[in-house]
Amino acid sequence: MSTVLPSAPTADRRPARPRPLDPTLLRLELRRLLRDPTVWVFSVGLPGFLYVMLGTSQEYADTSVGDGNLAMWVMVAMAAYGGVTATVGVGGRAALERTQGWGRQLGLTPLADLTWVGTKAALACVLAALPVLLVYGLGLALGAEGTTAAWLGSLALVLAGSWLFALLGLAVGLAFSSDQAVGVASGAVVVLGFLGNVFYPLSGVLLDLARFTPMYGYVGLARYPLTQGWTSAGAGPAYHDAWWLLVANVATWTILFAVASVLLVRRGRGRQ
Amino acid sequence: MTASLSRTGAVPALELRDLRRSFRTRDGDVVAVDGVDLVVQPGEVVALLGPNGAGKTTTLDVVLGLTSPTSGTARVLGRSPRGAVRAGLVGAVLQTGGLLPSLTVRETLLYLAACHPGLSGGRGEAADDALHRTGIAHLAGRRVSRCSGGEQQRVRFAAALLADPALVVLDEPTAGMDVHARREFWDVMHAEAAAGRTVVFATHYLEEAEAFADRTVLMAGGRVVADGPTHEVRARALGRTVAVSVPDPDAALAVVAAAVAEAGGAVLHARTDAGRLEVRVSDSDAAARAVLALPGAHDLEVRAGSLEDAFVLLTGRAEPGPEAPGTARPLPASTTAPTTAPTAAPTMEVSR
Repeated sequence: MSTVLPSAPTADRRPARPRPLDPTLLRLELRRLLRDPTVWVFSVGLPGFLYVMLGTSQEYADTSVGDGNLAMWVMVAMAAYGGVTATVGVGGRAALERTQGWGRQLGLTPLADLTWVGTKAALACVLAALPVLLVYGLGLALGAEGTTAAWLGSLALVLAGSWLFALLGLAVGLAFSSDQAVGVASGAVVVLGFLGNVFYPLSGVLLDLARFTPMYGYVGLARYPLTQGWTSAGAGPAYHDAWWLLVANVATWTILFAVASVLLVRRGRGRQ
Repeated sequence: MTASLSRTGAVPALELRDLRRSFRTRDGDVVAVDGVDLVVQPGEVVALLGPNGAGKTTTLDVVLGLTSPTSGTARVLGRSPRGAVRAGLVGAVLQTGGLLPSLTVRETLLYLAACHPGLSGGRGEAADDALHRTGIAHLAGRRVSRCSGGEQQRVRFAAALLADPALVVLDEPTAGMDVHARREFWDVMHAEAAAGRTVVFATHYLEEAEAFADRTVLMAGGRVVADGPTHEVRARALGRTVAVSVPDPDAALAVVAAAVAEAGGAVLHARTDAGRLEVRVSDSDAAARAVLALPGAHDLEVRAGSLEDAFVLLTGRAEPGPEAPGTARPLPASTTAPTTAPTAAPTMEVSR
């Protein structure tokens, strides 16, 4: 007796072109992250807390800065810090998932790299928006003042620019083993924040060096609608950064992070 | 039931030609796969049987496109391995496949369903269908981090079946499962294979190969050392041990060897003690008949050969027995469907 077995179909089931973003994946990723209390405390809550601590002091909050006051200057910085922390976190987690077995699981599916990267990027944008909007809301309620153009312009630049730091998180997550990566990434953000004029206005030699660090360009651009590149706060004399220098800083670091990520992804492929 | 498994003109589900893969380590190159030839036809259920370090996982990693061979070729359903995965034709359970602990079981399947853009029907239905088929619907709302190792393994299995794959690859699929879960797992797998899927699984349990695979490929040291219908590989490569008490064991051994050779078998290993003969043979019937005919023979015992013994002999890591010509000679590694295996094995069990 001979039996002809039915056979599972073997035709290609792939659609013609991969999608740059998958809404189901984004929804599940978001749900997963927001379930994590540390995300709410450190990624969303901490920047808001820092703004309240640093930006609402009666002594200097109302000092005039550019088209607004010092409270707004601090607010933009804290929002930028929150955005960067969020996107570095998303990038770092993404890298860890890839190296800790989930990458192999995804490697068994037709999921296109483009869809994966696009979904993670969208996730970073959404997650960055949470602390940024919280800090801006607190600023609005607690005395940050500026022109409408300064408010909207800085908000747009903070949101758009934070996204680039997802690449930094990705590179750090790929470069370091699982447990080190989280500490390295959050430590790096704090150090880069100080060097980027985020927490305290620098001067002298430190400022000359700081101009070459990654967060300097980003925060400088985010404050541009408020200060037009001038910084007068702090002990030193006022100084000015041309917008194209800040753009060059951002562009250079973006390219460096991207190249590092690609090289590290290539190194990390295969069985761990 | 006799079944013709090879469909003439069909593209093989799996075709490996002189596959080699070595890894660079600090102590020099380690050869994990050392010239594997293997052809699996659509609808076959094949066990890759071998001890740890035999090269099973690396071979399957190549098949799944997770690693590329150092040399040789691999074709899966007529495509490159990665091409077959991209076309959504392959499902797999990996030994080291990680899951995301913060997702629930159903969310995990939903996520992976969304990774198959060509899925016919909705993602929710695909996820629910996989949950039901693998009997884990009751775990749907549980976080992966709260699932036991065996439960997580069944989640991986559900993930492998999500996209209705033509080829299912399982690497030590029942590791971490208790006996009950293991039996349930294979019950589900039987049903999936009956639906016409090609199944290739790696295991180091002989019982699993016997219970489930029509064909067994024995691997050791990165090579295929035996390939054929499971019962035949078992009989010829593993043999059975026939032990009997006789007055003159050495004379008895000569008689047994002659009888077994006449029946077309071979003595794999022999040991003589005071008054007792123990031989491991590929044809235990002939050996048993011959020894019982000897005057004074008593206490006959026939035992199944153990896999561990077979591996030791096949990989030549132990000295062969005194009367064992061709001990370490592997079976001809057939690169065709088991129906064309040259020996008298007319029937094969396709399903039970």
